[in-house]
Amino acid sequence: MNLSLGHYLVLGAALFLIGLFGALTRRNVIGILMSIELMFNAANINLAAFNHYLHPGGVTGMTAALFVITVAAAEVVVGLALVLTIYRNSATAYVEDFHLLKG
Amino acid sequence: MIEAIAFYCMAAVALTGAVMVVTLRNTVHSALALGLSLAGVAGLFACLGADFLFAGQLLIYVGGIAILIIFAVMLLGRASNLHLRQINQQWAAALLVCAITGAGLWRLVGIFRHTSSSAPATATTRSIGLLMLGDYALPFELISLVLLAALLGAVFFSRKDIS
Amino acid sequence: MRMLEHVYLIPLIPLVASFIILLAAPEDPHSPMPLVGIAAIGWCLIQSVAIFYGAVIGSIHIPYQMDWSWFSFGATIGGKPFLYDMPIGVLIDGAAVVMLVVVCLVSFLVQVYSLGYMHGDPHFKRYYAYLSFFTAAMLGLVVSSNLLVTFCCWELVGFSSYILIGFWFERAEPAYAAKKAFITTKLGDLGLYVALLLIFSLVGSFQIPQIAQFVAQGYMPAGAATAIGLGLLCGAAGKSAQFPLFIWLPDAMEGPTPVSALIHAATMVAAGIYLVAKCYFIYAASPIAMFAVAWAGALTALLAATMAVVCYDIKRVLAFSTVSQLGFMMCALGCWGYTAGLFHLTTHAAFKALLFLCAGSVIHAVHTNDMRQMGNLSKKMPFTALATFVGTCAITGIPFLSGWYSKDMILEQVYEYDPHLFFILALSAVLTAFYMFRLVFLTFTGTERDLERYRHAHESPWTMTVPLGILAALSIFSGAYLSHNHLFERLVHFDPPAGLMPRMNVAPPGLGGIVFAAVACAILFSYRLYGRHDFRLAEDLKRRLAPVFNLLERRYYLDDSFLALVDLGDRTAKMAFWIDSEVIDRIFVDGWDLLAQLAAQLGQLFDALFIDRMVDETGGLSVSVGGALRWLIRRGMIQEYLLWTAAVLSTLAFLIAWR
Repeated sequence: MNLSLGHYLVLGAALFLIGLFGALTRRNVIGILMSIELMFNAANINLAAFNHYLHPGGVTGMTAALFVITVAAAEVVVGLALVLTIYRNSATAYVEDFHLLKG
Repeated sequence: MIEAIAFYCMAAVALTGAVMVVTLRNTVHSALALGLSLAGVAGLFACLGADFLFAGQLLIYVGGIAILIIFAVMLLGRASNLHLRQINQQWAAALLVCAITGAGLWRLVGIFRHTSSSAPATATTRSIGLLMLGDYALPFELISLVLLAALLGAVFFSRKDIS
Repeated sequence: MRMLEHVYLIPLIPLVASFIILLAAPEDPHSPMPLVGIAAIGWCLIQSVAIFYGAVIGSIHIPYQMDWSWFSFGATIGGKPFLYDMPIGVLIDGAAVVMLVVVCLVSFLVQVYSLGYMHGDPHFKRYYAYLSFFTAAMLGLVVSSNLLVTFCCWELVGFSSYILIGFWFERAEPAYAAKKAFITTKLGDLGLYVALLLIFSLVGSFQIPQIAQFVAQGYMPAGAATAIGLGLLCGAAGKSAQFPLFIWLPDAMEGPTPVSALIHAATMVAAGIYLVAKCYFIYAASPIAMFAVAWAGALTALLAATMAVVCYDIKRVLAFSTVSQLGFMMCALGCWGYTAGLFHLTTHAAFKALLFLCAGSVIHAVHTNDMRQMGNLSKKMPFTALATFVGTCAITGIPFLSGWYSKDMILEQVYEYDPHLFFILALSAVLTAFYMFRLVFLTFTGTERDLERYRHAHESPWTMTVPLGILAALSIFSGAYLSHNHLFERLVHFDPPAGLMPRMNVAPPGLGGIVFAAVACAILFSYRLYGRHDFRLAEDLKRRLAPVFNLLERRYYLDDSFLALVDLGDRTAKMAFWIDSEVIDRIFVDGWDLLAQLAAQLGQLFDALFIDRMVDETGGLSVSVGGALRWLIRRGMIQEYLLWTAAVLSTLAFLIAWR
């Protein structure tokens, strides 16, 4: 049994969908952040898989994945800092309580 | 054959972890499951022959981000109110959206269903290093700036007192 | 000297001179600038005489033609492209040679004469500029080979005539007369213009030789030739004061007398005759046009002569006389007397210029035009009296003077063509003798009727008498010189195409003698009426024939009818204006305005009710949609926003993927 690109893509898609579902449903801000990380990982899997199957011997896709990891790290850092600040101000971590945007 | 077994094992770890991240009530548990899932993804990278990415994934995600999140959860203190529902009311709608997206993705995935490769895995670290400091030097420098900005931003936002 | 090759200089030199005079010096009653004009015309005279002499002894070959390219233009006619070439050039035939000499000579003498006559006039300098300009235009008309250029010069001489008749425009009469002359001649020019258009549309060229060739080869339909001939005749009638357009010439006498001598006796009024002569080949192709020319000339000769009989204004008598003599020429041309007509033109130029200049001399002395206030002036101005007598004899046709040769030629020619015309012309000749001697008797003999004026009268200065002397000599000798060995006929002749010349009668011998006998009787009758000291018989006659006299003094009511015509035009214009302002404007302008306003208001209503509402509703729609959407996700929930976004994006992605 040989693994095809399709396997990895299906896996990536599944991971992405789980992340999406989490981002849409988790009440906790940190849960949302974690779900987003899952989606990033799904994308990274796709990048690595495409690199492996379509450009064997190349590294461009992996490099891109590395950039994604870096950006994700930065995002998490800033996101967590924001979460902490918000929590310090409003003592809640549930997004439905963040309704400052309500018009 | 061994590749397939490894793939399925790692896929099972990653997906199980992911589902747990989304479904568990306790945020700490979720964070731990996240670490598990990320580790599974790292294993998948290994399966794909991306050695440097595998290392990077372990170091940054599992060793960095997951731990950071766990710390954050702990800092939030009361955040893990276990008697409260951690899923909001729109889960059905979210499921529908996910289904539609999944259908679309399925169609796209179908294009590559039979694409396979027999290239042997080679060490990529050297090539990535050359690429980073060669063609991608400018994005590389830019990403360092982004990291610096993120660092500064994090420090700025999480200061105790803004005066 | 290559006089003929440089003939184009003849019109150009006076033109340059006129601009120099006009622009180079300030206005000054004693300006020396006229000498420039005299020098210019002097050179032209020398050159003209040289050409004339060369033509007489046969050293130069005429007709001489020289063309330079002027412009060309393309046109598409009936789908075919044509290129029209419009050259500008000179055409010197016998008639042109003679005309050049006539114009230059009279112009030169008049300019010299004007030194004395116009001396001290505040616009002395301008007067000379105008004279030079007129001379240039007239010479251009004479030498041009292109009918278009001829037409331009034709209009320019008309314009010069206008400004010179109205030279003393401070007074009302000259201004009125100038206007009248200009407008009346324009009426004739309309016909000329149409004729030119016809010529170009048929021939495709304005070059006279080409048109002549076109006609000679028989391409010109008889109807077109008639139309063109009549159109040209119309123009000529305006310019040469033929019936019924001669009404402007008597009034043109309001201008300075030397101007009358130059323009309204010798040169410009001859331009019409010259034009007919220049286009004679067209008349040769159309008997009807020829017939019209002959009868117009004859009628003019008779009517003008009768009107001269009752006139007391010395210049107007001469003006009517001019009209009458021009009628002679026209009639001669209409009777195939090409040579006779132009011969009379030449001799007439000399003696009529002489008579006008004499009249000018008299007017200069007594400061009036009215012959009833003169009398016995031969005592005071013997030289002028002598010159006038010579001129009168010449115009009357006393044997061996210039007028005798030319008039005899005309009468003979006319008799050969049509005896009826001959009788009219003979009657005119008799009347001419009568009124010319009446002029002489009233002016120079008898008793002095106005002592005040008589006492102030004096002989004119040498600048005026010398030209008189020269012209008098020419009046005496030119006829004999030009008819010696048929000199003029050799120089100026028209060879009719074979078969076109009509059958001629044979003039009986002694015809001239009979006419002269009648003329002599007329002179005696004139002496009986006016030569003595009392005019009782004349007054008696006048009383008895009062209706006739009245008719003649009113100029056959032609002026009145023309004025009525003008008045009618005026009224028509006024009515048209009224219709325009009260009806057309009201309906089509104001009404249109109203309609436009109504339409605008309707549009505004539509705009307010429909367009604006649509705009408002579009805005309202987005407000409503926004409101509805706000209601839908009114709680400000980030995850709800996220869900909507994800839903839309996923749907789009799905649609694109499964397309």
